[in-house]
This record gives sequence, C-alpha cells and structure tokens, in this order.
Amino acid sequence: MTARQPGAGLQTGLDRLRGRALPKNHDARTISALAANPGCARRALMDAAGVDKQRVAAHVGFAAQFGQSRFAIVRGNAFEAQVKENGAAQLLILLRDLLDLDVSEVGYADFNDVGGNSSAELRHLHTRHVLTAPDQPGRTLLDHPLLRLRVGGRHAYLEPDLIALRLDGTFHVIEVKSFAVIDGQADPGKVAAAAIQSAVYVRALRDLVTEAGGDPAAVSHKTILVAPRDFSSQPTAASLDVRRQLGVLDRQLSRIASIETLLARYPGTLTFDLDPDAQGRPRRPAAELAAAIGQVAASYAPECLATCELCFLCRDEAGGTTGALGKPVREDLGGIEYIAQARSLARGQVPAPEQAEIAAQLLRAAQLRAQVLGEAV
Amino acid sequence: MISIVAETIEVLERRIDELRVAVRQAVLAGDRALAARQRSALTSAERAWEDALEEAAAQTEADPLARAGPVARGSVAQGKAAQSRAAEPPARSGSLLPLREQVYEALSLLQVPAAPKLIATVHEAFFGATFPTTRVTSLKRDEERSFRTAPFARPYYICAALSADYLAPSRGLLAVSTWPLELRVIGSLSPRVDFLTAAIRVAEAIERIPEPPAAARRLLQRFAASVSGAISAGGGADPAAVREAARAELTVHREADAKARRVAAERARGLQHAEQLFGTAMFRDRAGDGAADGADIAGRGAGE
Repeated sequence: MTARQPGAGLQTGLDRLRGRALPKNHDARTISALAANPGCARRALMDAAGVDKQRVAAHVGFAAQFGQSRFAIVRGNAFEAQVKENGAAQLLILLRDLLDLDVSEVGYADFNDVGGNSSAELRHLHTRHVLTAPDQPGRTLLDHPLLRLRVGGRHAYLEPDLIALRLDGTFHVIEVKSFAVIDGQADPGKVAAAAIQSAVYVRALRDLVTEAGGDPAAVSHKTILVAPRDFSSQPTAASLDVRRQLGVLDRQLSRIASIETLLARYPGTLTFDLDPDAQGRPRRPAAELAAAIGQVAASYAPECLATCELCFLCRDEAGGTTGALGKPVREDLGGIEYIAQARSLARGQVPAPEQAEIAAQLLRAAQLRAQVLGEAV
Repeated sequence: MISIVAETIEVLERRIDELRVAVRQAVLAGDRALAARQRSALTSAERAWEDALEEAAAQTEADPLARAGPVARGSVAQGKAAQSRAAEPPARSGSLLPLREQVYEALSLLQVPAAPKLIATVHEAFFGATFPTTRVTSLKRDEERSFRTAPFARPYYICAALSADYLAPSRGLLAVSTWPLELRVIGSLSPRVDFLTAAIRVAEAIERIPEPPAAARRLLQRFAASVSGAISAGGGADPAAVREAARAELTVHREADAKARRVAAERARGLQHAEQLFGTAMFRDRAGDGAADGADIAGRGAGE
C-alpha cells in the first residue's frame, strides 16, 4: 500500500476538486463505506479528494444527518469498557474457549497513551515499535493500538478495539460491538459492517508488518467479533472470516490509487469548491454546484442511505430508474433503465430488438399478476 | 466494639461541624441550591449521629456479643432507629465518610491497584455505600495537589499505579501510597495477577462474614465468571472454589509478574517522591489521569 502515493499532477487535480476546504480524513467507517458501493464514480472521486460530502450535500439542499447517535456511542463505549475492565478479564475467558488461548497468555498492554501522552503520532510509533519487535514478552492483548493506512495519498489513523497476539506470533483483530447476538444470530447488516471494518484493520496491520519486513500472513484473516449475548450485557465472541472483505477493500484501495484515469475523464474546470467567505459560509450558487456534481456519474442503490452523505441527492437524481429500487431489481430488469419503460413494456408496448427477451418476461409477469388480482392491467 | 462506634460518632460530629460551616457559607453566598443540598446532607448526618448514639447506648446496656461490624450492625439496633434505616438504602455511616476514606477502605480490602468502578463496587458490597466513579478522577488530582503542597502531611494518599514501561500513571488505576512500589507498578501480566488477587481477597472477605450481603455475593459471582474453573456445577460461586481457582491460575503468572515488577520498582525508586506516587510527567500532555476519550481520533492526525 505504501507505493500508492499519487503523483504530483494527480494531487493538484484532487486539490482542485476539493477547492479551498481542508481535506476530510478517512477513518475505519469511511474506508469500509468505500467498499460498500465500489461502482460509484462520484463517491470514489470525492473521497479520494477528501471532499466534505456532508457540507456539499447540504449546500445543494440534500442535507443528510450522518454519524452514530450519541446513545449508540455511549452504549458502545460502556460495553467496550466492561469487556476490557480488570485486564480484559471477561474477554480472556471467551478467548480461552474460542482461540484455545493458553492460561499463561494473559499479558495486557495499553496503547491509549504513551507515558501519558495520547498524540496520534506518538501512539502510532509506539504501536509500530511494539508490534514489530522480534519478541513479544508477555503481551497477549493490545488495547487500542494505533495503526494507519494510506488512502488516496493521505494517512488515515485507525484504532482497532483490541489486537490479540498468540505465542505462535499470529495477530487477531478483535472488534467489540454493542449490537446483541440473540440466540447465536445477529443483524446481518451490522455483522457485515463489523466484518469490513475489521478487514480495514487487518489490511493496516498487514501493511505495518510488511513494512517492517515481516510476513503479512502473521495477521490472521480470522477476526473476532465480541458482542453482548442475548438480552444481557455478558459478552460472547464469534470468529469472522474477512477474506472476501479484504479482497473488496484491496480492489477499492487500488481503485483510489488509479483515480488518475477516472479524473482524466472530467474537464479540468470541475470543482466541488463551496467558495466560502471569511466566516466559512458557502457563497457558490447551489445550482452551479449541483451541475458540477451532476457531471460525475453516481451509482445509487438503496444501501447508500446507510453509508453515504450524498445519498438523498443521488436518490433524487435516480428517481424513476430501476436502480433506485435496489440492485436485485436492476439486475432482474437488465437493460431497462427506467421504471416507466418497464411498465409500458409490461402493458404490451413493442420492445426494441435487444429488449425482446425481458419484455416477454415482463408481459408474462403482468398477465400473472392480473390473473391473481382478477383485474385488467 | 464500643470504641468503633465511638469513633464513628466522632467522625460524624466532625462531619456535622463541616456541614454547618458549608451551609452558612452557601446561605451567605446566596447559593440556594447548594445550601439546600448541604442542609439535607446535614440533616442525614445528624440522623446518623442519633442512630449511632442509640446503638452505642444499646450496646453498653446489653448483649455483649453484639458486633459492630458493617454487616452485623443492622441486627443490633432496635425500634425507631432500625425503622428509619430500613426506609433508606442499606447505607451506613460509612457513606458519610469523605470519599478518600471510602476509597481507602475498599483498596485496603483488595490490596491491589484497582479501577474506580471496581473500588465503588467493592465498597458497596462490603461497606454498604457506593459513590459515583466520576468523583474518583478528581480525587486523585486533589491528592496529588495536596502532596505537592505539603508532602507526607497525611498518613496515606490515594495515588496512581505506575506503568512499568514509562513509570507514567497507569490509566484509570488507583493505589495507596503506603503500599510497596512493587505492588504499585503495573507490568503486562499485572492486570491479570491483580484481578486474581482481588478475587481471592473478595472470596476471603466473604468467608469471614457469617451472612454475606447480596451485593457481595453478586461481586463474587462476577469475579468467578472470569476465572477458569471457579463456577461450581450449579452455576453458583462458592468462595472457597473461587479462591482455589484463582490461586491455581495465579501460580502460573506470579513469578514472571513479580520479576517484572521488581525491576520496574527498582527504576521507580530513582524518581522523586511525588513522581513515585503520581507518575512521571515525561510525556504527559494533560493533567492527572484523564479518562480515555475513546473518541475516534482519525480526524486528528492531519495528512502528511
């Protein structure tokens, strides 16, 4: 990943896109959101440039409230603190079951600060120093180490909840989440989000190990998810295999690296600058900004509502298209772009030759529906 | 026994005097809310004083076997005093002790550095009163300030545990200044060793009490859940079983931990007294302990 430093020309181009605003730094959440919709050029370009999407969306009239609720954050922090209290006593018992952790492996190291200093640079240096040391005396659980990952030419600092290290030298990323695992089942969406977030940490940790000349395989692709069991606050742990997420993430990260080709498709005047005044209030006409955004194609899917600040803008834009109904619908109606078009084909409109097959299917579906409902279409 | 009660009464009298001063100051300062708070504290202190006096009287009269231990106490006092207490939470005069003394009581039972939450839980389980953990953070700062102004003026200080690597204050752990340095430095195995030691201490304390209160049994259950082999077949936690299981695991770690702590303590002896108690300020970028801000720090590091 270290080689993914963009050239000077590209950096100028990205700076121009961003305009006068300071770049937004990535964190584990935004990096995992990148992998959620890999086909979206708009998001790829804006994220690579570090555009403040929330402000841009608000300026063109599609403000989206983003971020975790305060209550969710408090609950998450409380559960994490509970799992980690007293030298992560609760977690050790779980890991002894799940990883067959030996009784002798109980070492606990705190990376929340270095000798009382919590600056990111110092913590990262300390983390690197400890993780790449030839021997790891008595260290099994590393609390909040600070990793970093190069995304679009800038370093994003990442803070996994815990890294477990076994005597045989493999690292396991541990993610503590506060959503409940009820009867062995959890919300699949949340598990997927946790998996991709863990994958981001695995990627960053592998980079760190590789940089130090180590073997990236020392970082296991099996991560550990710790969450409350049933309706209690007792933790339970499950193993997550994040190989697939790692693949998606790698593709996405390399796409950011190849953002140059994407950028070259657009005119050199394209910018998402808000033209802020001295107080930082945007002065750029909203219509002009909207037109600039419109130049870059988006790939809207309903899932965007959970991950992207521009979601309402793109949804509005995608109104009437089959994609707005979700990826399965778009795939089922392959080749038909608009909902209205699909409806008229279903009513018996004569299709274009390349749409003949799907038109026949639509017609049949409409007839079946009419039979069932007992009404004419 | 009588002497213990008498001591409590004296503590209460001092407390009542302090509260009277506080009420006067608040009223003169025009701070009604504070005055009201101090007044209610004063009222409850006076009530506790009456109770304690009645209890002392009852003890001198009869029942030489009556014990003034924190748990047995409820059975001693009769009549009105007992009724008035029944209406309140199981708090006893301990709750009126200054915070530092409550923390000291709990830490003295555990005999290992502990986090505020554990200290509060232990105090609730064995001394019948709890306190908000948020107050503990400022307590350590006050103790440090007091020590720096007048070193060794108090018989003990609530101080920090030191991380073995940088001898900086270990995040969120409190200790007592009179403990040996070997106990107050925290190596990588120390959190587990201290946890197991605390489990043993709690189990032993429960074994000493004829009828352990529910809060103490709950505490033991929680310790048992995190020690391999401590939960008995029925799912309950037996003090003797917890003690044995914790001892068994302790033998695995004890030697390595003691060695690391000895080395670190030796280094810490080279520090000045205040640093030995409250940690070095080598890298410190903030005062005191600073509860970790678990916030996402990704935004903090600017691009390079």
